[in-house]
Amino acid sequence: MGNVVDALAEASDEALLVLYGNGDPEAARLLTARLAPVAYRVAARMLGDPAEAEDVAQEAMLRLWRLAPDWQGGAARVSTWLYRVAANLATDRLRRRRTLPLDAAAEPADERPGAVAGLVAQDRAAALEAALMRLPERQRQAVVLRHLEGLANPEIAEIMEVGVEAVESLVARGKRGLTEALAGRREELGFDDG
Amino acid sequence: MMAETDRTDERLEAFFEAARREPPVPSEALLARIRAEARQVKDVARPVAAPVPRVPLRARLAQALGGWQGLGGLVTATAAGLWIGYAGIADPASYGGDILGLEPVAASVELMPGTEDFAALVIGE
Repeated sequence: MGNVVDALAEASDEALLVLYGNGDPEAARLLTARLAPVAYRVAARMLGDPAEAEDVAQEAMLRLWRLAPDWQGGAARVSTWLYRVAANLATDRLRRRRTLPLDAAAEPADERPGAVAGLVAQDRAAALEAALMRLPERQRQAVVLRHLEGLANPEIAEIMEVGVEAVESLVARGKRGLTEALAGRREELGFDDG
Repeated sequence: MMAETDRTDERLEAFFEAARREPPVPSEALLARIRAEARQVKDVARPVAAPVPRVPLRARLAQALGGWQGLGGLVTATAAGLWIGYAGIADPASYGGDILGLEPVAASVELMPGTEDFAALVIGE
């Protein structure tokens, strides 16, 4: 029994999805542990709202469960599919937000009271998240996938359904935007300007 | 220019590194809801995927042949046929008569009288 569980733990996402489709409950548990955090991370960083990110992650995983019986093997990766679904669901929510009054949207974190001495990595992470929220959503998505999820440009191109050059352009513009947004905070976040 | 870009990248990388170390983590409650949905989806899909109660082949055959009574008759007739063949009885009709002590009513019955003459005519004999 232990050997079976060990073998499952080493199985690819694709193999686990097929096993889940065949009714293996352990496969569903492993897929949840592996992939739900992925969907949640991307949604949280795109939306800047944990509650909405939870809804997106749950919906993306539900779509994965429903897809399982029809999953076509081949070159497609389950994680790529999930990144795309989660990002698209998050984008839909961002578009719906535009119709809401401005004060209903998430408050940028850099509006907080001034910084104190000894800011640590947590503050830099918070500052980056706030700066990300100021980027246009496509640039934000590309930067999150490239620099926070660590994906290669061809996979990002597949997720965003654009060419690799378009990804490079989105990432470059996104980084310029981040640099500008963070410019005023370098000193307080422990960077000198020299 | 290139040096400035590198410096900017380096500064940004420190922010990225910090953010990668502090990733948003899903709550255990969310993971539990996702696992529960996985079970529900599977439970809903099962009756559709599995065929409705399967009737064993033997039962379906018996039904096609008129139930167990019909099948009983068929088995009896088959056994009798086998026995007749095995025993090598040349004329089963007369044998029945012998067993039951009856005189045969007719040795043979012509269902289509005159067929032999017609066949001869066609063949040209």
